[in-house]
Amino acid sequence: MREKEKVTPADFLKQHVYDIAAYAGLIVTFILFLIFSGSRLSYNMATVLQSASAYSIIALGAVFVYSMGYMDVSVGQQVGVYAILMIMITNAMGGTAAGVAAGFLVILALALLCGAFNGAVAVWLKLPSIVTSLFLMFFFTGAQLLLMESTGTNSISIQAVIKPADRNMYNVMLVLAIVIVAVIVTYFFKFTKLGKYTRGIGANEVTTAQCGVNTTKWKVIAYMAFGVCVAVGSFIMLTRTGSAGKGTGSGYAMDIMICLILGGMPLSGGMKSKVSSALVGTFTYVLLTNDLTTMGVDLNMINFVKAVIFIAIIMVTCRKKDGVLPR
Amino acid sequence: MKKVWKKITAVLLAGAMTVLASGCGNSGGNASDSSSASSDSGAQTSDSGSAPAAEGKACTIGVAFYTDTGFAVDSTKAYLESLSDTLNVKFTYTVLTQTDEAANLTKIQELISSNVDGIICTMDLGMTSIIQECEAAGVYLGGYLCDYDTSFNTAYDQVFKSEYFVGTATDGQNPDDVTIGNTMFESLMEYNERNGDAPITHVSMAIFPTWAFPAQQIGADQFVAAVEAYNETAETPITVDPLNEESDVLAFAPIDTTYFAKHADSQAIISFAAGSAFVYPTMVQAGVDSSMKLFTTGYDGGEDANFGTTGKGTYQQTMVTAVESVTYPLVLLLNKINGAEFSDQPAEAERISTAQYVINSDEDMAQFQKSCFYTKDAANAMYTPQDVLNMTAYGNPDATYADLKGILSTMTIDSIK
Repeated sequence: MREKEKVTPADFLKQHVYDIAAYAGLIVTFILFLIFSGSRLSYNMATVLQSASAYSIIALGAVFVYSMGYMDVSVGQQVGVYAILMIMITNAMGGTAAGVAAGFLVILALALLCGAFNGAVAVWLKLPSIVTSLFLMFFFTGAQLLLMESTGTNSISIQAVIKPADRNMYNVMLVLAIVIVAVIVTYFFKFTKLGKYTRGIGANEVTTAQCGVNTTKWKVIAYMAFGVCVAVGSFIMLTRTGSAGKGTGSGYAMDIMICLILGGMPLSGGMKSKVSSALVGTFTYVLLTNDLTTMGVDLNMINFVKAVIFIAIIMVTCRKKDGVLPR
Repeated sequence: MKKVWKKITAVLLAGAMTVLASGCGNSGGNASDSSSASSDSGAQTSDSGSAPAAEGKACTIGVAFYTDTGFAVDSTKAYLESLSDTLNVKFTYTVLTQTDEAANLTKIQELISSNVDGIICTMDLGMTSIIQECEAAGVYLGGYLCDYDTSFNTAYDQVFKSEYFVGTATDGQNPDDVTIGNTMFESLMEYNERNGDAPITHVSMAIFPTWAFPAQQIGADQFVAAVEAYNETAETPITVDPLNEESDVLAFAPIDTTYFAKHADSQAIISFAAGSAFVYPTMVQAGVDSSMKLFTTGYDGGEDANFGTTGKGTYQQTMVTAVESVTYPLVLLLNKINGAEFSDQPAEAERISTAQYVINSDEDMAQFQKSCFYTKDAANAMYTPQDVLNMTAYGNPDATYADLKGILSTMTIDSIK
C-alpha cells in the first residue's frame, strides 16, 4: 500500500501562497476599515456593501470566463446599455412591476445573446476572445450614446420603485442577492461539468479537447453564464441610483479584472481558479478604496495608489512568462 | 532567489506608495492650513469694520467639482483655502463625472466616508440618490455653479425640500430668470457704437442642447427678440441667422467647419455655449478668426491675447461667474453645521441667479485681470475671511439671509477691487 505523502508547513505555504496573500489582503483592509471608519462605521459598512454588490455579482460570473484564461472588456458598456434599456422599457410600461420584469427579461436575453456571440465568434473565427469583446465594447458604446441621444436628456430615471425605501432592508436585499448568486455560481463551478471544463480549458485547452470535451460548446455556455450575472449585476447597480446616463458602467471591465486578480484569480485561468476570488477580491478592492479615503489620502491620489498596488500584485502572482496576459 | 527579491521589492514599493500617498493627503491639509494662515493675516488688515466674530466649530467640507482643472476650479480652491483658518474649515476635493450617476454617488459616498460635515457640489447628476446619502449620514449639501434644473423640475420635493440641501448659487441666471440674451445684445450694441465705421450687421448663434442648458435656448430667443425690437427703428438693421439644429446646436463637441459655410454672411458668432473651448478653435482652424468676431461666455485662459483691440480681436465679449459666489452655499452649510439659522431663512432651499462679470471692452478685461478668478490669488477676492465669517448666522447675529443672497447680485465687473 502506498504511503500517504506528508505535507509539511513549507509545502502547504508554497501551495497556498496566493490564497493566503488574498485573504491576508482582505483581513488587513478590513482591520484598517474598522480602525479608520471612526464614528461613520455603520454608514461606511453600508457604503461598502452597496459599492461591492454589483461588482461582486458580475465578478462571480466572470469567474467562468477568467478560469478559461479569457476576459471580456465589454462588460462596462453592457452594464450601461442594460441599465438604460431597463429604464426605458419600465417607463414605457408605466413604471409597473410588470414593466420591471419585462425590462429585466429583455436585458437577460440580450446578455445571453452577447455571451453566446462572444464565445462562439471567437471560436469560429479563431480570434482571441478579447477581440470579440472589443467589438462588443465599441458596439455597446455606440448603442449607449444613441439610446441617450434618443431620450434628449443627460440621464434618465426609472419611474418604478426597485428598492426598499428602508436603507437597512435595502442592504439586506443586497446581501441576499450576493449570497444567492455566490451559491449558484459555486454550485455550477465546483460541482458541474461547466466549472470542471472551463478550468480544464484554462489549464490546457488541447488536452481538454482531446479528452472528448466539446470546448466550443462549453466556452459559449461559460460566456452565457457570465451574461446572466452581468444582467443581474446591471439591475443591482440600477437599484443604487435608479438612473442611468451616457457614462453608466464606464470602467467596470477594468474594475472587475482588478477585483478578480486581487482575489487571487490567475489571469491565465486553470485549475487554481476559485469562486472565492470574486468575493475576496471585490471586497478587498472596495474596502481598500474606503480605507484610503478614510486614511486621508487625497481623493485624486487613490486611483494612482490602487494602480501601484495592482501592478505589485501582478508582479507577485505572475506564474509563467507566457501566461501573464489572457488569451 | 532573484525572482523572490523582485516580488518582495514590488510589495515594498506598493506599501511605500500607500504610506507616501497618505502623507501627501495629510500634507495637503497642512499646506492648506499654512496658506490660509497667510491669507488670514491679510484678513486682519481688511476693513471689514466688524469686531472679531465667534469662530465656528472645526469641520470639513468636501467640494465636488465638475472638472479637475481650469481657472474656475483653481481660483475657487484658492479662495476657499484662504477662508480655511478663520472659518475653522478644512476643505477636501473630488471630481465628479458628467455622465455617470453611479460614479457620482460613489464619489459623494467617498467624501462622506472621509468624515466631511458638508458638501458643495457643482453638478446635478444622480442628485436624488446623493441627497438620500446625505440624509442617511447627516451631511449637508449645497450647490455652486449649477442651477440644479433637473432636480428643480423633476425632484423638487426630494432635493429642494430636503433639510439637508441648503440651496445653490447658479452659474449665471436660472432658466426662469434669463438675461443673457439681453446682455449679448447690449455688448453687440456697445461694439457697434465703438466701431461706427464698421458695425456688425449680420450675426449667427451657437448653443448647447436645450436638454442640458435650457437657459441658452431662452437666451437665444431673448437675443433675437432684442434685435427685432432694435430693427424696428434702426437705420442699419441687424440680421440674425435662425438657429440651425444641425450646425448651431453643439453636442458638447467643437463647432463644425461647415458652420461657416451655412452662415457665410455672418460677421460675428453669438455663442451662448462656451466659445473658447467649442467655437474659437474651429474659427482658427477655418481661418476666420481675423474676419469674424466672437461674443461668448466663460474663460479658459489665453482669450485676453485676442480680446477687444488686442491681437486679432476675435473675442469681443465673454462672461464669467465670480468664484466668490461659492460663499453662498458655504455660509449656509456652515450655519447648518454650527446649528445656527438666519432669522429670515426661507423654509425651502433656493437656487439663486448670480450676476456675472460681463467683459466687453479692453477696460473690462483689464479690470477682470485683477480678479481672484483670473489671478487665482485670494488676496484679490471680493471678501476677506472675516467678511465671510460676518456673513454667517453664528458669527454675526445681525447677519441675514437677504444680505447673503444679495451678494450674488453684486458680483459684477465693477465690484472687482
